[in-house]
Amino acid sequence: MNAIIIYCVRDLIRWFRGKWGFISALVAPAAWLIFVGLALPVTFTDNYLAFVTPGILVMTTLSASMQGGALIIMDKILGFYNKFMALPPARESILFGKILVTTIRGIIQSTIILVLAFFLGVPVYSPAQIIGVYLILILFGCLLSSITTTLAISVGEHDNYAAVTAMITMPLFFTSSAMMPYSSMPEWLRIPAHVNPLSIAIDSIRDVTAGLIPGQSILILVILTIIVVSINVKMFRRVKL
Amino acid sequence: MNSKLVAEDLTCYYGNLCAVDSMNIDVGNEIFGLLGPNGSGKTTTVLMFTTLLEPTKGTASVCGIDVVKYPKKVREQISYVPQDMALDVRLTGRENVRFFAELYGVSRPKEMTDEVIGVLDLAERADDYVKTYSGGMRRRLELAQALVHDPEVLFLDEPTVGLDVAARRKIWDHIRSLRKKGMTVFVTTHYMDEADRNCDRIAFIDKGRVRKCDTPASLKTIINGDIIVATINGNFSFSNIPDIRFIGQQEDEITFLAHDGQMASELIRREVLSQGLTLHSLYARKPTLDDVFLHLVDDYEDTRPINMSRFRNMMGKR
Repeated sequence: MNAIIIYCVRDLIRWFRGKWGFISALVAPAAWLIFVGLALPVTFTDNYLAFVTPGILVMTTLSASMQGGALIIMDKILGFYNKFMALPPARESILFGKILVTTIRGIIQSTIILVLAFFLGVPVYSPAQIIGVYLILILFGCLLSSITTTLAISVGEHDNYAAVTAMITMPLFFTSSAMMPYSSMPEWLRIPAHVNPLSIAIDSIRDVTAGLIPGQSILILVILTIIVVSINVKMFRRVKL
Repeated sequence: MNSKLVAEDLTCYYGNLCAVDSMNIDVGNEIFGLLGPNGSGKTTTVLMFTTLLEPTKGTASVCGIDVVKYPKKVREQISYVPQDMALDVRLTGRENVRFFAELYGVSRPKEMTDEVIGVLDLAERADDYVKTYSGGMRRRLELAQALVHDPEVLFLDEPTVGLDVAARRKIWDHIRSLRKKGMTVFVTTHYMDEADRNCDRIAFIDKGRVRKCDTPASLKTIINGDIIVATINGNFSFSNIPDIRFIGQQEDEITFLAHDGQMASELIRREVLSQGLTLHSLYARKPTLDDVFLHLVDDYEDTRPINMSRFRNMMGKR
């Protein structure tokens, strides 16, 4: 079996068995969907839930990635690193295993959101649209989790990492197109919202659900992912024990 | 000798700090102990042999394979159990070992896992979560992980630290039986008594330099004489007594080295009483590896501020 898969399966089992981490990962996104999707008084659309679902999907991927980044720090702090690095498989497989498990965690959470959204009245996507949405989420999950693992490797300590992610997450979410269309935004927010990588993913999902193929955005995501992963690999090779 | 590990002029700097200084060792098919106090360069040496750290200078090889040129090949030959235990507590013992069997690419992972678990007496608890394991069992489980791919060379960094006497003995029993099966075991420790009983050869390391490398028996002949230990009340000030060397005072205990323990004891008794101190006990004994080590690093000890704590460490207080 491939070392990447082996590392990934280990983390998945630990996640399931950790119970509370797993439960919270399932409950938290549902809470977002319900409280934001059903409670906000919105005038620009009659089905706000349908509008905000792509935003919640992407936000879920973001928070899954933030939590996933911590995995690599914990392995380092707890001394697993030393043991893994002395094993025959290529060392990068540790890193790719983390990116893979983080993406899978995000996808599992996103699936729950999607099912719940359809149940709460969002028009059900066609199979082709669902495939498209998953494709974007997987791509975006890879991008974000390699960003967060890079961040984790460079920050090095767990409390520092938690502080940095707490600082980034909220502004990133609220300056994206998750909550409202660009036309309803205040003037000053539109430029940051357009360059926000979250918006790129959210807008692509909206395009897909509207029956369009967002080729350009997907290309941007692919290029960004390749760049970040290669930076990540480079940094990972220089990690001190 | 059939060389398994060779270090030639092996040197490692952390910035300006020299952690390992021009090390030359040649380890054959044996239990080889690297002994020294905390921070003497033991772990750094192991990290270089296990390809986790690149040497600043010099070369190291495992089974004739250079650790810098062919790190992956080296990693296929070895297993490494670091000092800090790292096990997945939410996995069972068997899952922990199986995980490593798969990472090593063992051909029959299930069978090999069951086998090493049996060898290390963990079969009964193999399907319990590691959360519920004692320290000794955890250490044995780590050994099982390391042995699952039947390595040529096994590196153990402080394998018995933090374990009780029975657990320590059990670990060493396992290490010795591995040696009988033909495995080379490279072990670091600062417990001299354990190394004395179990290692075929020992290298003393201090401040990154190997001071001496030999069998425990020949090392102990370096000290030609007896150790005299006296328990007193108060501060002893050593004035010159012929043929007796003062090693030091540690709380109420003063230690000396002399050729003839009997005669020296009498002189020391007189000296202690003449200083107006109370003498509680006085005895002479044969030197141990602790004494040999202190003897070898003596010149360096005197100038160092943490002298006494290091001494205590060396004397095996845990």
